[in-house]
Amino acid sequence: MISPAALARRAAPVFACIGLLAVWQIAALWLKNDSFPTAIDAILAVPDILGDKEALINILASLRRMAIGFGVAVLFSIPLGLLMGRSRAIAGFFNPLLMVIYPVPKAALMPIIMLWLGVGDLAKTLVIFLGVSLPVIYHSFEGAKAVEEKMLWSGAAMGLSAAQRLVRIVLPAALPEILTGCRTGLVLALITMITSEMIARQSGAGNILFNALDMGQYDTVYAMIIIVGAMGICLDATFERVRARLVLWSEPQFDMPLSFS
Amino acid sequence: MTSRLSSTSEILGLAPIALVIAIWQALVSSGLAPAVLLPPPGIVFGRLLQQLVTWTFQQEIVATLFRLFAGFAIAVLFGVAVGIAAAANPAINAIVKPIVRVLAPLPKVALYPALLLLLGFGHGSKVTLVAADALFPILLSTYYGASTVEQKLIWSAMAAGTPRYEILFKVVLPAAMPSILTGCRIGLVISCIVVFLAEMITSTDGLGHVLITAARTFQAVDMFVPLITISLLGLILNGLLGALRSYLLRGFPEA
Repeated sequence: MISPAALARRAAPVFACIGLLAVWQIAALWLKNDSFPTAIDAILAVPDILGDKEALINILASLRRMAIGFGVAVLFSIPLGLLMGRSRAIAGFFNPLLMVIYPVPKAALMPIIMLWLGVGDLAKTLVIFLGVSLPVIYHSFEGAKAVEEKMLWSGAAMGLSAAQRLVRIVLPAALPEILTGCRTGLVLALITMITSEMIARQSGAGNILFNALDMGQYDTVYAMIIIVGAMGICLDATFERVRARLVLWSEPQFDMPLSFS
Repeated sequence: MTSRLSSTSEILGLAPIALVIAIWQALVSSGLAPAVLLPPPGIVFGRLLQQLVTWTFQQEIVATLFRLFAGFAIAVLFGVAVGIAAAANPAINAIVKPIVRVLAPLPKVALYPALLLLLGFGHGSKVTLVAADALFPILLSTYYGASTVEQKLIWSAMAAGTPRYEILFKVVLPAAMPSILTGCRIGLVISCIVVFLAEMITSTDGLGHVLITAARTFQAVDMFVPLITISLLGLILNGLLGALRSYLLRGFPEA
């Protein structure tokens, strides 16, 4: 049985959603602005979009690009981050380069990458990859740096090779921190996906959103915002579940669902 | 990332940047990449220096910086205030926490069309977007910092007769400062990125607009210039925040 207090805590985000939608509804009714439909109108437009086959294919294509970009970025970034965390030389080598790249908006590279790779899937997936990599590298780096030396010495004394130590000791010990980075990366992947599609206006969820804006279909604009927002919240909640299961042993540590662009 | 690298590792760190530029140059000179698509680095940096002294380009930078700072300042004020209020008061916490849980993972860029429709194409919508994006890391790290202040410190202050609201400014705020500044740092990087994106999507001025104009006219050289400029701005602002941090946190054991 779930205690009433736990139930209230679980239901709190739902109430928050309802509350925010209610504030929207009231604001829309009060402003009476053509370009600001009420929350109910926008929600009613959601099934129209999801029912439209072309729109659905576009949204699924966006999600596929996002999944590929995110997956490749995670596979590439975690080993690099862990190596950086364990070797001062590798960290010194990559750190400044990453610091220079960090404040560059990854989606802003889109026009340049489009010149080279065209407007297709490859360019968009590459941009998502770039966007996700940095936080994952950074968090893996921080996590690997904080691994207790004694555990590594014990491992070495028991005859583990350097590579084995990295996989058997450093990776599990840094996992909570790595997953924090992955969570940031996930939100980031969604944002980069939307922005890359806004810039390369060819297909995808971002394209639907901004086409609707250009054509003045305001209901569709707000409905797309709801869809994208729901995607973000669902992905984050799912990831949180997975994370809780993977690192059951670690302290339920505070982590920030940050969003970069 | 780490600001205190020894001088040898600094030299080592410059190597990959030099390497990237060398590969870039090699790609162009070898003819693998046509100069139309990938202009040689010399021309790009020359163009950057040439642009930096022109009045029009400086105005674009000023427009971008204005939006960046306005949005960031709003995010800092709001984030720190709400974060501390939520940490200090359970009732506020009960309201703020679920809302933050819902809003924080929401991709804020998707809200930009709505902001455009509501606030127009001017500064308002861009500043709001920057503030919305920079807000959550600052709010969350403030909350985290303020809620982990040692209870003994607060009790000591109370025992010494400090009134409640003064405890906030004299104990909680300074104790949460390292965490708040970490949040500000993340928020600043986000502000840099978001202001640029907002300007790319719709704008008539600013660095993002420079990039889009160049992209529409296929001026590859001019596309690199705003990108390098925003990266430099990010580095400079990050450095300034780092200096502010070491000033504010003088006396902290691990600043």
